[in-house]
Amino acid sequence: MVRGDLEQVFRAAYPRVVAVAARVLGSRTEAEDVAQEVFLTFGRSAVPAGEASGWLSVAAAHTALNHLRTGRRRASREEAAGASHSPVSPDVAETVLASEERRRVRAALARLPRKQAVALVLRHSGLSYAEVAAALDLSPGSVGTTVRRAESALRKELGHASSL
Amino acid sequence: MRHPSDGTLRRLVDEPAGVADTDREHVAGCAVCLSALSETQRDAEFAGAALHHEVTPDADAAWLRLSGALAAGAPAPAVDRAPRWRARLSRPVIAAAAVVALLTGATAAAATDWLQIFRTEQIAPVTIRQADLLRLPDLSGYGDLTLTEPARIREVPDAATARSATGLSVPEVGELPRGVSGEPTFHTGARVSAEFTFSAEKAAASASAAGHTLPPVPPGLDGSRFRLTAGPGVAAVWSEDRGVPALFVGRAVAPTAYSSGVPFATARDYLLSLSGLPEDVASQLRQFSGDGRTLPVHVMAEELTSSTADVNGTPATVFASRDEVLAAVVWIAGGVVTAVAGPLSTDEVLTVARGLRWQR
Repeated sequence: MVRGDLEQVFRAAYPRVVAVAARVLGSRTEAEDVAQEVFLTFGRSAVPAGEASGWLSVAAAHTALNHLRTGRRRASREEAAGASHSPVSPDVAETVLASEERRRVRAALARLPRKQAVALVLRHSGLSYAEVAAALDLSPGSVGTTVRRAESALRKELGHASSL
Repeated sequence: MRHPSDGTLRRLVDEPAGVADTDREHVAGCAVCLSALSETQRDAEFAGAALHHEVTPDADAAWLRLSGALAAGAPAPAVDRAPRWRARLSRPVIAAAAVVALLTGATAAAATDWLQIFRTEQIAPVTIRQADLLRLPDLSGYGDLTLTEPARIREVPDAATARSATGLSVPEVGELPRGVSGEPTFHTGARVSAEFTFSAEKAAASASAAGHTLPPVPPGLDGSRFRLTAGPGVAAVWSEDRGVPALFVGRAVAPTAYSSGVPFATARDYLLSLSGLPEDVASQLRQFSGDGRTLPVHVMAEELTSSTADVNGTPATVFASRDEVLAAVVWIAGGVVTAVAGPLSTDEVLTVARGLRWQR
């Protein structure tokens, strides 16, 4: 049974869901795959409409992080193939560097404790502290602490010399 | 007044309206906090840049795709909103662990028509980088894995019950480490066993999906079965007030592996050739599992360090997390593996291990 408000919710939330997943995965193709999984589940769920936005963002973050941990390489292969004939990336060295940085970010996210990774991605996707708190069952006060820890760990992990 | 917390400083960076006036005023006039705020801001900007990925998705195309999938009755994937610890042990990680277990012969069954191919008598750490572990394929890509005896872990009232349920004597700790107190809870786990049937057809399909061609399957491997068993086991667990384990002392019948006929080395070498593991890891696995009695335990290079020690004359392996929060010591004697672990130092777990007393 597919819920009646699915298209309305989809139209409103799709860009954000893809953006959340793309922050984790660094890949549009893979992020859109994640969004499909998330909406497929949402479409058959009884999540109240008022909670849909938060639910979808958290589900996108978790599902994208799960994709990272499965070591799925399909999208990166597709992206590599796409990049080779992309008119905006004629410089192969630059493309390789960008892809290496994305790989390092993905690896660093995969190593963060799950709650930190989700809070980090949601906050940087534009959710307010109150929204992140509600989504993760945290107090608003501890959202800052969780995000701060994640950012500090990310910076240590990726190194100060990075060109990011 | 006390300095505001790191979390408050972080919120000050991008949602200052959510921070109390008193905190804002304090930070404005405090050199320590201003310096911390500046560092917080730099880390936040760095993370923002690292996570930046501009996408302009095509919502119309995506809606068509979703409508199509819904109309076709595609099953809803298991999207996890708030995974608990079990869910965090995601399927790929369990699958990867299963591959390692099979590759290393980490299991067994005591059936008379089965050839024992592996019995754990000692363990050896094998260092695997997380990225390599994630690269391990799903065992279901090589055949069918059936859990014939699932893990049944339950709490029992006392050591005597645990002993009668498992046949294993329960360890008694001579002296508890500082910070650990009270009485433990006792837990038992029944024997766990699984059966894996190798399928050349599945392996070929997996190889093809990954863009490879399956190397020739050694004679007799297609359809051959491996039985994998470990346990039963017992554990005594001391907890902190919040229910977090403070000390774990456990014993279990060590893994043994049986094959329906194919020599273990044949299956192991073939799976290793398919696994995509770097050669340095594969050769460690071959070397350690070559004698049919050494169980390689994979150690994530990024998370753990390992070293050797001695527990009252028995060689033991000590694991410690790189952040020095957790430590464990593991050793095998008489076909039983014993482990002492907790949020303790390596010295503390070794002291507990060396002071254990066994009920006779």
